[in-house]
Amino acid sequence: MSKIMPVDILSSIKGAKSSEAVDKLFDVIKNAEINQNSSNQNAENAVSIDDLRADVVENSSEITKQIIIENFPKEKDGYLVVSKVIEG
Amino acid sequence: MSEIKRIHQDLIAKKYTCTALVQEKLALLKENKYNSVNTVLDVLALEAATKVDAKIANGEEIGLLEGIPFGIKDVYMVQGTCTSASSDLLKNYKSAYTATAIQKLLDAGAIPMAKENCDSFGHGSSSENTVFGSVKNAVDTSLVAGGSSGGSAVNVAADYTVFSIGGDTGGSIRQPAGYNKIYGLKPTYGRVSRYGQMAYASSTDTVGPLAKSIEDIAIIMNVISGKDGKDQTSITSEEIKAEVISSTPEGIKVGYFKNFIENDAIDPTIKADFLATIEKVKAAGYTVQELDFFDADTLVSTYYTLAMAETASNLSRLDGTNYGNRIEDKNLKETYMVTRSENFTEETKRRIVGGNQVLSQGFSDAIYLKGQELRKEIETAFEADFNKVDIILSPVTPGPVPKIGEVLNNPHAMYLSDAYTVGFSLGQLPTLTCPFGTETGIQVTGAKNKEQTILQFANFLNQVQ
Repeated sequence: MSKIMPVDILSSIKGAKSSEAVDKLFDVIKNAEINQNSSNQNAENAVSIDDLRADVVENSSEITKQIIIENFPKEKDGYLVVSKVIEG
Repeated sequence: MSEIKRIHQDLIAKKYTCTALVQEKLALLKENKYNSVNTVLDVLALEAATKVDAKIANGEEIGLLEGIPFGIKDVYMVQGTCTSASSDLLKNYKSAYTATAIQKLLDAGAIPMAKENCDSFGHGSSSENTVFGSVKNAVDTSLVAGGSSGGSAVNVAADYTVFSIGGDTGGSIRQPAGYNKIYGLKPTYGRVSRYGQMAYASSTDTVGPLAKSIEDIAIIMNVISGKDGKDQTSITSEEIKAEVISSTPEGIKVGYFKNFIENDAIDPTIKADFLATIEKVKAAGYTVQELDFFDADTLVSTYYTLAMAETASNLSRLDGTNYGNRIEDKNLKETYMVTRSENFTEETKRRIVGGNQVLSQGFSDAIYLKGQELRKEIETAFEADFNKVDIILSPVTPGPVPKIGEVLNNPHAMYLSDAYTVGFSLGQLPTLTCPFGTETGIQVTGAKNKEQTILQFANFLNQVQ
């Protein structure tokens, strides 16, 4: 399947299109010369396995849970309401 | 002179109460003519001040930061307070938890005064890209405050807060610090936990202080630094020692990027003033070396390519489903579209779209991955430079402080104004802006984790001004 997704759909922004100011920046990158001999030390930026935190579920405090519910945009009869999901 | 130490002594000597101090600053923050504040935290601040006063009245010892009023850029979570990122989308969003750096300051007894105006999601260099109104410069209100931590810089400069916590992704602490003539430090990437900082570009986002003295910058850094299990990119670091900062730097080799200075884009006055500072450094007996570096166009384009890609990814979660100002439409997809279209500013949308462009098929190889390669080269070049020198000096900006309205509608010019700050962000290097040397200040940069060395050298520079 080959389908090109336009940038407005990718960005979920109506009428979105590329801007001249940003395209000028990208042109500089396209035309830049890469030094093939540059070192590959970027692996040093990766997080060590030893530094990964334990994969455990932590229960949030009551106040955190309350604020998360408060932040929900829409509530009806005690239920949190989401938008209608696209059909088909 | 440390403002933190002065107030600490005054509180102990009972020259005034912490409550009186906080009330005075709250009044200033509320009246303020600079648009520097999004939310005043009066209830939190007065509660905290009362506790400090009670301790002093009981004859208990107080810590150095206890009772010191500080400001918080409006991208940091503080439980129960609004955290808007200066956007319509999150204008009424309430933080469910508190950022690690802010929690450390609260634990030390510092008083949170305000959530500070800034460019929306950190997207800007003037603090005009905000739904709370453009922030005005503390020195001249016809000029921009700089950005994105413009409100934070202005509040410190205007004495509304003793210090503020800003965020720096490509210059957002350093440039407004220079524009408002105060100090601002972008720490080494990871030295301060990013947990609870709203993400802009995660690989260069940093948390740092703005203050009126080098001593205060060090005091704050010693509190907020440290490894944090909630941010796996955070690192351990050593304490910055006050006695080292105040001592004369010895055996330090200094460099500056020749091509930053020898080009047509730099303002002649900034160039002359910077070179005059270099002469003062030489006159004090230090060796100064000219260095070759990447041109400004490459640095700016590499930074913005990667930052836009990262912000497109980070902000994709903001769709009004679980929080934020949802605007309902006929179905979920349309709701996403309308919510994002109407709640993001033009500059934020420009960056999201640019980011999605470079991440999409057909563009990622030619632009995004090439940008990553260039970043590796830039990092390698920095490593080579810091084998030759200990300190790199540079102007903060190529031009003077713009007038309000001058750059907002010229995004390319705004991106280019970050020419001297973004490189150090890509290198993840600690850099301090000092409020002297040029109209917009001077940057002092060191190798990773060399905060103590750059503060020590900045202290020397301050003495020879």
